[in-house]
Amino acid sequence: MKRRDFIKIIGGTLIFPSLELTKLNAQGLTFSYELSSHEARYYKKLPERRVQCLLCPRECIVGDKERGYCGVRENRGGKYVTLVYGRPVTVALDPIEKKPLFHFLPGKQAFSIATAGCNVNCKFCQNWQISQVRPEQVRSLNLPPEATARLAYRYHAPIIAYTYTEPIVFAEYMLDTAREASRRGIRNVIVTGAHVLPEPWKDIVSAMDGIKIDLKAFTEEFYQRIVRGHLKPVLDAIVAAAKSGKWLEIVYLVIPTLNDNLDNIRKMSRWLVREVGRDVPVHFSRFFPMYMLKNLPATPVKTLESAREVAMSEGLKFVYVGNIPGHPGESTYCPRCGKTIIKRVGYEIKEIHIKNGKCEYCGEPIPGVWS
Amino acid sequence: MRVAVVKVKRGDFTSSLLKGFSALCSDSEKCLRKYFSGRVVSLKVNTLSGKMISTSVELSYSLSQILLNRDADSVIVWDRTEREMKHAGYKLKRRGSLKIIATDSPRIGYDEALIVKGEIGSRFSRIQMAADESVSMAVLKDHDIAGVTLSMKNYYGTIHNPNKYHDNGCDPFIPELFSCEPIVTKHRFSIIDATKAQFHRGPAYHSKWYVRPGIIILGQDPVAVDHFGWQFIEKLRASAGLPSLKEEGREPGWIYTAEKMGLGSTKYEVVEL
Repeated sequence: MKRRDFIKIIGGTLIFPSLELTKLNAQGLTFSYELSSHEARYYKKLPERRVQCLLCPRECIVGDKERGYCGVRENRGGKYVTLVYGRPVTVALDPIEKKPLFHFLPGKQAFSIATAGCNVNCKFCQNWQISQVRPEQVRSLNLPPEATARLAYRYHAPIIAYTYTEPIVFAEYMLDTAREASRRGIRNVIVTGAHVLPEPWKDIVSAMDGIKIDLKAFTEEFYQRIVRGHLKPVLDAIVAAAKSGKWLEIVYLVIPTLNDNLDNIRKMSRWLVREVGRDVPVHFSRFFPMYMLKNLPATPVKTLESAREVAMSEGLKFVYVGNIPGHPGESTYCPRCGKTIIKRVGYEIKEIHIKNGKCEYCGEPIPGVWS
Repeated sequence: MRVAVVKVKRGDFTSSLLKGFSALCSDSEKCLRKYFSGRVVSLKVNTLSGKMISTSVELSYSLSQILLNRDADSVIVWDRTEREMKHAGYKLKRRGSLKIIATDSPRIGYDEALIVKGEIGSRFSRIQMAADESVSMAVLKDHDIAGVTLSMKNYYGTIHNPNKYHDNGCDPFIPELFSCEPIVTKHRFSIIDATKAQFHRGPAYHSKWYVRPGIIILGQDPVAVDHFGWQFIEKLRASAGLPSLKEEGREPGWIYTAEKMGLGSTKYEVVEL
């Protein structure tokens, strides 16, 4: 738009397009730019109207009228509030395979929600138009926890997924919604980078039935430079999730030149075997040029296959490649008899040969949540 | 490079501004001709913290009139949100050559383009993108993270994600943002409204650490103006018995980073009027 045109339309009638929103056909629900002012759960008050956020490892000290790094939690006169409680910007029905969770109710639909905001700033973010904005910059629904669970129920979704952006930043909304969903027999899963402090993470894990963690690299340097966070809190969160007994899967987005070093992938695989166990599914996903990393190419398929081979050679039993529809590495193979027990193409399930949690062919128990 | 420090007498901001411009370039006409082409000028005010510690309405209106009287096509006085501007005493005005609007005003918003400089990418307010020239009209304030918030940090209000720019005491993020094309190529003047000052626990208003120095600080060099503002805050803190920002671990190192990046100089001449 030319500058002169802009000056003219300030008082005129042109309408700028807003950010794209994924919409569900949710009759009666309207989007607006309103914010919530629900008191946050994880913070402490400091002198002179300052607060300290205790949700993520940043532990932001926030002065009056200021916000934390996430942009969705604000100090209002010494009271820390979340601006996104009951204000999802995206509501959609997705196959659970899209999260991806491959060993959790395969083929089922997940009622997926996200609010604005994120507590890191990954240079490869796929959803930066909603994760890296302040909530007033993107339209959201007024959908409190009870209404969210009710809507999921109405759409016959057996799962609610907290996903797309970083659910940690909308912890209060997620926890209250999860409680409402559980009452209706709906399962809850979180898709997260797990850059979180132990206390809120404990609450979140206990409210979830499934957990998918993006382990974005296995070096602190990558976390500081590309993610703008730290590795250790994420590793601690993975261990805590594994110990909880809740279903856990790991995704590793392989980015050419930045985190595709096979030695590091080997170290990570060994660490997972040691700290989490051989049964945890690990997904090596293909990167596509995005956000601030448009200068890099998409991950070569061979790189993903090599990562998968390395991880399996270290003893991980269920290793997948992602974002390559039709690749054999999308399917699940019985670790005992080697037969295909879940055949997938993209997000679609073509065949399932698991009965009562066991391989239909040889009876080997297959870890996961199958019913 | 000069920094003009002008006493504001009887609320006459117009005279104070003209005196300041004269001190910077020998006479005010010459100064305005040199720096303003007379097209669309953005006056980015700071209204985050309510009426007590926001850019004075009278100061921004006075500069608007000076510029419009010298053939500017349009002057836009603006900040992030209409709500904050109203709380600070601004009356919104969408028509005419003087516009008083905010990025969240209807049909404005942020430009779609992501501009990346350094480690972070941002979308800029369409107002900043549309302006030919811009003036940062900050307030003299302490800042709990950046040490001080002055003319360069005021441009945090032009982007969609200022919360991502506060690590490491905002260093190097303040100068990195300033060096983005929509700012560095358009910035003409830094003006700090120091008729009021918050010298501790800013940027919010706290009456306990609030004074009224009754001056404005202006200059073409943002580093020089911000350095002077910082030193002024240090003096206010010292006279109130507060430790220096360095002692509190909040020294605004970003000012020196800005100097190293070539955005200005901390060596300047002060002209007091």
